[in-house]
Amino acid sequence: MVISKEDLMKSERQAAMVFDLNKCIGCQTCSVACKVLWTREDGMDYQWWCTVNTQPGRGAPKDWEQMGGGYRDGVPNPGIIPTREECGGGWDFNYDEVFYGGKGRSVHLHPIGEAPTWGPNWDEDQGGGEYPNSFFFYLPRLCNHCTRPVCVEACPRNAMYKRNEDGVVLRDETRCRGYRFCLEACPYKKIYFNYAKKISQHCIFCFPRIEKGVAPACARQCPGRLVFVGFLDDVDGPIHKLVREWEVAIPLHPEYGTGPNVFYIPPLAPYRLNEDGSIDETTPRIPTEYLEKLFGPRVNKALDTLKAEMAKTKNGGKSDLMNMLIVYHWHELFGPFTKDPAELTWK
Amino acid sequence: MFGASLGSLSLKDLQQKQRPGPQDYPYRSWEDLYRQQWTWDKVAWGTHCVDCYPGNCPFRVYVKEGIVWREEQAGNFEVVEKGVPDMNPMGCQKGAGWSQLLYGKERILYPLKRAGERGEGKWKRVSWDEALTDIADAVLDSIQEVGPESVIHIGTPAQGGFMSGLLLSRLMLLLGGLNTDVQGEINDFSPGFYLTFGKFDPASSVDDWFHAELTFIWHKNPIYTSIPWYHFVAESRYNGGEVVSVAPDANPSTLHSDYFVPVRIGTDPALALAMCKVVIDEGIYNATFVKEQTDLPLLVREDDRHFLRARDVQDGGREDQFYFFDTKSQSIVEASRGYLGLDDIDPALEGTYEATLKDGSRVKVRPVFAILRETLEDYTPEKASEICGTNPDLIRTLARKVSQKRTSLFTGWNSGKYYHGDLMERSMCLLLALTGNWGKKGTGVRSWSTSMFDGFNIAYAKERTGREETQRILDMRNNIINVVRAQDPTMTEEMAASELGRMFDPQGGTVTPAFFWYFHAGYRENWNKREWHDPSMKRSFDDYMQEALEKGWWAGVSRPAEDTPPRVMFEVGGNYLRRTRGGQTMLLKHLWPKLKMFVQVDWRMNTTGLHSDIFLPAAQHYEKITFHIPTPHIRYLTLSDEAVPPAGESKPEWEIFVLLAKKIEERAKERGFTQYTDSQGFNHRLDNLYDRMTLDGEVAEPAALADEFVQDTAYAGTLPEDTTLDTLREKGHVRFIDWGLSAYGLGQASDFKLDETHNPFRWHTEKKTPYNTLTRRAQFYIDHDWFLEAGEELPVHKETPNQGGNYPFQLTSGHNRWSIHTMNITNRIIQQTHRGKPHMVMNPDDAAARGIVDDEEVRVFNDMNSFFVPVRLSPSVRPGQVIIYNGWEPYQFREWKDPAMVEPGMIKWLQLAGGYGHLRYWPIQWQPVPTDRAVRVDVAKVK
Repeated sequence: MVISKEDLMKSERQAAMVFDLNKCIGCQTCSVACKVLWTREDGMDYQWWCTVNTQPGRGAPKDWEQMGGGYRDGVPNPGIIPTREECGGGWDFNYDEVFYGGKGRSVHLHPIGEAPTWGPNWDEDQGGGEYPNSFFFYLPRLCNHCTRPVCVEACPRNAMYKRNEDGVVLRDETRCRGYRFCLEACPYKKIYFNYAKKISQHCIFCFPRIEKGVAPACARQCPGRLVFVGFLDDVDGPIHKLVREWEVAIPLHPEYGTGPNVFYIPPLAPYRLNEDGSIDETTPRIPTEYLEKLFGPRVNKALDTLKAEMAKTKNGGKSDLMNMLIVYHWHELFGPFTKDPAELTWK
Repeated sequence: MFGASLGSLSLKDLQQKQRPGPQDYPYRSWEDLYRQQWTWDKVAWGTHCVDCYPGNCPFRVYVKEGIVWREEQAGNFEVVEKGVPDMNPMGCQKGAGWSQLLYGKERILYPLKRAGERGEGKWKRVSWDEALTDIADAVLDSIQEVGPESVIHIGTPAQGGFMSGLLLSRLMLLLGGLNTDVQGEINDFSPGFYLTFGKFDPASSVDDWFHAELTFIWHKNPIYTSIPWYHFVAESRYNGGEVVSVAPDANPSTLHSDYFVPVRIGTDPALALAMCKVVIDEGIYNATFVKEQTDLPLLVREDDRHFLRARDVQDGGREDQFYFFDTKSQSIVEASRGYLGLDDIDPALEGTYEATLKDGSRVKVRPVFAILRETLEDYTPEKASEICGTNPDLIRTLARKVSQKRTSLFTGWNSGKYYHGDLMERSMCLLLALTGNWGKKGTGVRSWSTSMFDGFNIAYAKERTGREETQRILDMRNNIINVVRAQDPTMTEEMAASELGRMFDPQGGTVTPAFFWYFHAGYRENWNKREWHDPSMKRSFDDYMQEALEKGWWAGVSRPAEDTPPRVMFEVGGNYLRRTRGGQTMLLKHLWPKLKMFVQVDWRMNTTGLHSDIFLPAAQHYEKITFHIPTPHIRYLTLSDEAVPPAGESKPEWEIFVLLAKKIEERAKERGFTQYTDSQGFNHRLDNLYDRMTLDGEVAEPAALADEFVQDTAYAGTLPEDTTLDTLREKGHVRFIDWGLSAYGLGQASDFKLDETHNPFRWHTEKKTPYNTLTRRAQFYIDHDWFLEAGEELPVHKETPNQGGNYPFQLTSGHNRWSIHTMNITNRIIQQTHRGKPHMVMNPDDAAARGIVDDEEVRVFNDMNSFFVPVRLSPSVRPGQVIIYNGWEPYQFREWKDPAMVEPGMIKWLQLAGGYGHLRYWPIQWQPVPTDRAVRVDVAKVK
């Protein structure tokens, strides 16, 4: 049977997420929630479908922004495949040797094998700038479930597709042969190779959950209450309002050309300090150029809107945007996915 | 090429193919692989009873094929106050990965007995009977040879739950053994709050932060340590609030603040006092609040710097009656001890007056406020800036904001871990006092508290189960409260309840660990090093210690005495060798050789367990019934249920302690030793130990005991009527409806409102009830002789002494992001979210000057000891500062040598003060506590 790439890359509706970076505290609950739910099996040890990294930083996999991928002038531009070392993680430790080895203090707990030099969150809280004007913020990343998924385009076995009903990008794991063209193609480097099964794998947007009306684990388990989920075309939902109406939520590296469906509300930062410790009200602590590099030029308007609306509440006024971002009731984050999973029963 | 898969085309695939729109991928039945993965057999309630505060995160535990598969936040808290965000979904990454500890390699499944040297890692698996027999014999030997006080249970927050280590103190009570005060052990104390308010533990509900118009994150790093509820701070900002981060380093919590205010390490009092000065000088202080709520209008004698007291002016006058100068009547009048409202009096804050003493002589007196003005002359923004490094204009800007806005100081327990933490906190409280910033929503300072679960305390006094007995205990408690209040009708119930604690807890064997360390663990030598103390300490530490003991300030709690060596120690769910300041340097060298047996009860191996003689395996939180310790922050009782049976031979702690009681009784009878008297004159019997431990066997089962706690709590009126263990299973948590009987709850001093956030001290500000201090007011002037001698009668700034020696770096700390103390620090999954090993954070310029690069292992040392640690470079660290977040297992460091080993654990001598109003021991409140922040170290390149 013949099915075109165009068919595989299309969907009727698009599920999307918005991460409010001004609420993100880098706690890794999203990453761990995902890890415990989906990636504990052999071959998945080092896989973190969701990671949170400190920006600026080299991220995970190490230096992923320099690895290419995505589209250039509308044409797929294959990059490189991150190595196992560049991903890092998946460590096991010498617990037994320390606890029961009879070696006392001559051994301490450490990863078994060669000492790691990188991991899923190796440059945590390092950031940039100089004291006292250092700066950093947290950036959670997962598969962007792109509108023009270059991974789907690249798959020689047509094993990858966007689901018609929600735009979730999946890979038929029974069809995948582990050629890893998708890893080359993905500019966000959020696809991993399963060394046991010899297939590629990535975030599945918790589709078994959203099918049952339950928000993805990373969103529902986020204690910072910063992950909005919903359909982009739901004009009453928060995603549409934040992305399309307020335009405060913008994609990461839009220039990669894949049309990401994970959006970010860009970060504010405390006032910079002058040499004498007084407040510098003009120069932003996080350099504008850096934010533009990450989020493109639209970041400036998003930040301006955010600041203007914050000023309203600070001066005793009202702001619909602030009300939305406060999230008075937790379920407001999840659009149609507000079901409590514990209420589900099987069989 | 697709032919091979056509055979697997399912009905669902065909249905999907028929959908309109773009052609869908035709072979979607493979998706069932993931759908099947997301299924389970059973769901149970769970929470993580570790010493995480406030904790109480309701979780659902998903069980599949008999094992815990995963967990997820329940997210079922209701909205408390309309217009305030709800608390869902409380939890963090540790909670989300807890199941991975259940079956991790740290888990202990069988009783272990040491088979080599302590700490050698050689073990023999033994039967429960053998382990308990050995322990029982060691306990009996110790009682017979030395006395029951040689048997000591180390006070720990013990898994942070009620069904764990706290229950061992019941056995200690019956044996006449000792329990060390948990606050003295951990030092999550806020001495400055205690000095000011007569209680260290104001604790707003977590959602109250939403109401703040100005939040100072000060001595706290909530982005690491308050993961489940930091969002209220972020949301307060969207609500129009501003956030100020005050710290030496631009720590992670600076991220989402409006202002970063860098201070030189330990100089926070200078910053706070400068803001106080601005507020006073600019006349923007809240005079009404100051006159009514604080001691600032009380009169002080110029001749001896003491308060003017009734005993000075009349024969038989009270020691604790103080005076105002009333500007209306132009006379000196008594300051009411029972009511803060001023009615027709308008106390002077300024001026000098004359008082006539009882011998007819006259002395000049001044309000504290006038003296404060003089003290603050040293803290103009410019002068303070030279001390703390904060720009003077920024100090002015902030001071003006505080005076105008509902201001909340989001404080942790970092300040209290500084040598002069009391001065920091007193200065911060003073700023709030001057601006009227407590006792209303969105304001105040914060520490920790517990209360409400009264059934637990009632159980200690019960001789049989049932509500009739509960009523007898309640009557007894109320009678004592009434007797106490009859002696002084101006006393509040809170004050009487605190006196009750002072009377009974030492009798129950609670002792202050500082004296234990002084007598038995080698700390006397450290504490007598003058160069590690503040130069304003006029005499030797021993001199103050001697005076304190001679005056009986610590009678009953300074046990075991010097001539009573410790023999058997128990720890349940703690990590003594890591937690204690001085750690292995002090304890392994000085204490361990004296011990015949160290027993560790836990479900996971830790460094202390590695140095134990017998390790008893406990059930994990998903394998037993337990409750997280409730707190005013959350105000719910949260259940963790038995989702799966205990793995291996592990047992719930209560079951272990009951078996131990039974074994001690059995072995005591065998040796014909069944009765004795302890040093306090109390008789103990061993021939009915099991019956008394279990109330005649009625609560021998953990579920029965838990149910008794819950039902008694409901009976006492702090849980809804008829709440039982079973009804608790409906939602996994139940809301408390009142503070309960303990002084910790009553000390919140605010009505318990079910539809509002909680902010403490509203009884003081709204109902004008007095504070539990000597002066019955928020007290900033401490005229204890030692404080006068030290020049600390009012808050001042003093430099942190060179603890550990004269070295260039100051080592600071704080809780980390990745673990709760050492719990989870070795969780294999959580370890992948950092570098998987300990590290010290350092400024890149400091590192470069020593040729050190990122991730390089360095040697850190001072006069106490040394250790090796890799560095992580970050420009957010202040030059001259090095940070090691605490929680690493010592066994993660080379030679197991960790940062605690370079901490001398210094105690500020003023914390030995007693015999003065509220400066008296009371469990988890006023007592000497060792400090650790800003210890001096040097950093050396190794290679």
